[in-house]
Amino acid sequence: MPASSASRGADGASGGAVQPAIACHGVSFSHDGVTRALDGVDLTIAPGEFVCLLGGNGSGKSTLARHLNALLVPDEGVVEIEGRDTARPENVLPIRACTGMVFQNPDDQLVASLIEGDIAFGPENLGIESTEIAARVEAALREVGLQGFGAREVHALSGGQKQRVAIAGILAMRPRILVLDEATSMLDPRGRRGLMRLLHELNEGGMTIVMITHLMDEAAEASRVVLLERGRIVADGAPGDVLTRTELLARQHLEPPCSVRLAAALAQEGIEVAPYVDEGEAAVSIAAAVRRMHRSQDGGLRLSRACSATHRGAACAATAHKTRALLSFDHVFYSYLDRARRRRHERRRAKVGDDRAWGASPDAVWALADVSFEVYAGEFLGIAGHTGSGKSTLIQLMNALIAPEQGCVIVDGVASAGRTGAEHARQLVGVVFQYPEHQLFAPTVLEDVAFGPRNLGCTDAEARERARRALERVGLDAAHIGDVSPFELSGGQQRRAAIAGVIAMEPRVLVLDEPTAGLDPASRRELLGLLDELNRAGTTIVMVSHVMEDLAAHCGRIVVLREGTVACAGTPDDIFSGACDLAASGLDIPATERLARRIAEQGVSLAQRAYLDEQSLARGIAAACGAGGDA
Amino acid sequence: MGTIFSFGSYYPGTSLVHRLDPRTKLLGGLAFIVLVLTAHDWAGLAVVLAFVGVLYALARIPLHEALASLAPLMAIVVLASVLNLFVVQGGDVLLRLGPLVVSEGGVWSCCFVAARLALMMAGMSLVTLTTQTLDLTEALERLLAPLARFGVPAHEIGMIMGIALRFMPQFASELVNIYRAQVSRGAGRGSALARARMLPALMVPLFTSVFRHAETLACAMDARCYHGGAGRTRLHPLRFSALDVAALVLLVVFAVCLITVNVVF
Repeated sequence: MPASSASRGADGASGGAVQPAIACHGVSFSHDGVTRALDGVDLTIAPGEFVCLLGGNGSGKSTLARHLNALLVPDEGVVEIEGRDTARPENVLPIRACTGMVFQNPDDQLVASLIEGDIAFGPENLGIESTEIAARVEAALREVGLQGFGAREVHALSGGQKQRVAIAGILAMRPRILVLDEATSMLDPRGRRGLMRLLHELNEGGMTIVMITHLMDEAAEASRVVLLERGRIVADGAPGDVLTRTELLARQHLEPPCSVRLAAALAQEGIEVAPYVDEGEAAVSIAAAVRRMHRSQDGGLRLSRACSATHRGAACAATAHKTRALLSFDHVFYSYLDRARRRRHERRRAKVGDDRAWGASPDAVWALADVSFEVYAGEFLGIAGHTGSGKSTLIQLMNALIAPEQGCVIVDGVASAGRTGAEHARQLVGVVFQYPEHQLFAPTVLEDVAFGPRNLGCTDAEARERARRALERVGLDAAHIGDVSPFELSGGQQRRAAIAGVIAMEPRVLVLDEPTAGLDPASRRELLGLLDELNRAGTTIVMVSHVMEDLAAHCGRIVVLREGTVACAGTPDDIFSGACDLAASGLDIPATERLARRIAEQGVSLAQRAYLDEQSLARGIAAACGAGGDA
Repeated sequence: MGTIFSFGSYYPGTSLVHRLDPRTKLLGGLAFIVLVLTAHDWAGLAVVLAFVGVLYALARIPLHEALASLAPLMAIVVLASVLNLFVVQGGDVLLRLGPLVVSEGGVWSCCFVAARLALMMAGMSLVTLTTQTLDLTEALERLLAPLARFGVPAHEIGMIMGIALRFMPQFASELVNIYRAQVSRGAGRGSALARARMLPALMVPLFTSVFRHAETLACAMDARCYHGGAGRTRLHPLRFSALDVAALVLLVVFAVCLITVNVVF
């Protein structure tokens, strides 16, 4: 039973030979009998470690995770969890009871309608007594910060809350190992931060944590990072050792953390600093390097300080010619509740108390309140906001799927109200919803993309021609994949095909809701490059996102939403220079700017208002060296 | 958004009806259907209406929640009553449309069937409004348990029902999202043909989503030690109480009233 093996682990520790929590010896596994997803993996994880399994698509990281829970059994080799061989049928239940598993999609793993019912599911399967289950449910709710929410409905929760429920459901089984398979990849920054904090708390309480991710910020927080490549472990060590191996990461289409990229950019500017994964350490070492440069009086380092905002200009040159507003919101209000219900919800909310601390309140009264902003022809506008900030309502208003309760939405001079206004708006504004590949349906890619033009009344030949053109524009070869079923494409390709389906309608404004959500770093970069290209070719782009790095690097202007209102609007420099309180909106500042502030705290004076990519920050630091040299 | 399709959603509460044993509610619901079928005139339906009204009041479910949960079922009611309008004949002929004949009897039957079906659904929807899905499935499982020895997979049926109910609101909101996306691609505009073309554009993505969810859900259940019904315990084990006796009494009173009204009128 679990209790006895825990005490055995403790005894082992005192005796000197700690029984590993997880031991994989020569593990190989193939899904199809041809290619090996895992190829001779040797991995030992001690109790209490916080391990990150890192790897690109097809690296076998998820396959390995499923071996740790006996969901998969190796073809060759042995996996032992706390000394139990996963291949033996009698071990399966004890292993699953002590190794909890959290999956990627928060919607897929909850079985019951009510939170307490779902948390009880695991203990019920273990045959634990009712009173004990009730006590465990209470304890688990407390541990994940959801006390008092037991009787709430699962369906009404945000993604981050659902992941917390999933973890609570595992905690109620009293596991000693927690495996998370990209569990944060579908969450917004607020949900992600909350989840990471929870994992650290659990880890401090002695839980062994194995986290599968491709997010570097998360990997940097682990105590150990294991990098997988085509089913083999290619690096294993402290984050500072693994995450600084730039070429190794690049082979897996992974980007090293910001502080490591900055070290590389500084090397190009002639400043040598050791790469650090921890941002605080990186800031200290860079500041020290700057001071060293001052002392050596190296005149050759005098670089121009004129590396201000112009740098990003190439990505979105359009901001400059604000010819006229193509789309404008004028004091727009919208609520999902009618007036009577709105009052009742206000009362209920006052009674329950505000619970926004861990996510958006589902009882918020106004989805949007007094929202005004404009989108100009040719620009690349970013809209930033966390889940529940009103961004999905905003998108539906742009597309006239709903009409504002007060105020107007004006598309190219025509108000979107009424039937003709709505038709006009839909023709001019194309919307790519979140996870657009989930809307693919036709037997072939070409047919799917031609769906929109056909609905517009195009002839068959014309619709196909438009579809072909749209596919070329998103970088897919119509001749090659036009006749393939959309379901046979890779995840990144499916998303492009879905975007082509909107482009084929030839809208003047393309609105995208979280276009990079759930993509791996390689497909993400490709997709953002594609949006820049479309923008250069003249399409106005509105990108809704909570990934601040993406917004900073690609948008000419950013509108920040907070609780249904416009919190701030301006150029990325305006937004990220500290004028806008992003934390209050549940958003981050881009990693480079965060690092720049830390370096400035170390006494290095940086000229620019905001640094939004590592090259410009590296130049800024070099300039600081040069300036010091002059003095 | 959730209110668009809320049949099967639980309305949290601690009322008398909520606290009933789900087995009582399930069997009571069946008895209710049979009894409502015996009502053959408006007086009988008035008794049913009073009974349903009392139950909703006891369950403390606001009128708008009750109506919202019924709205999606109205299609069935309308279909059944329209069929009756044309099929049932009797009394004066009111309208003749080619082969279709509407008579007085048809109109009466149309209204009556609509009212009866609506009341029946209101009663059944109360069961799902006041009972958690896992409790319902447990009740079904326990009621079917005696049949297990004849090879009826009682536990599995219960589990399947529970999961179907848990995912219903989820798929409803996914369907709304798919609908929005396809409408913004111009679907469903104008001609009947365009509307017909919309159907696969909604259904194919919905079914793919069902399969996608099913795959991970199965894994997630395995990972949480699910291994069938053997040796499972319950957070809230089912126990009959005095409340269930009271419910039985109420049901008997209702039956007596209804039968009396049926006989008298």
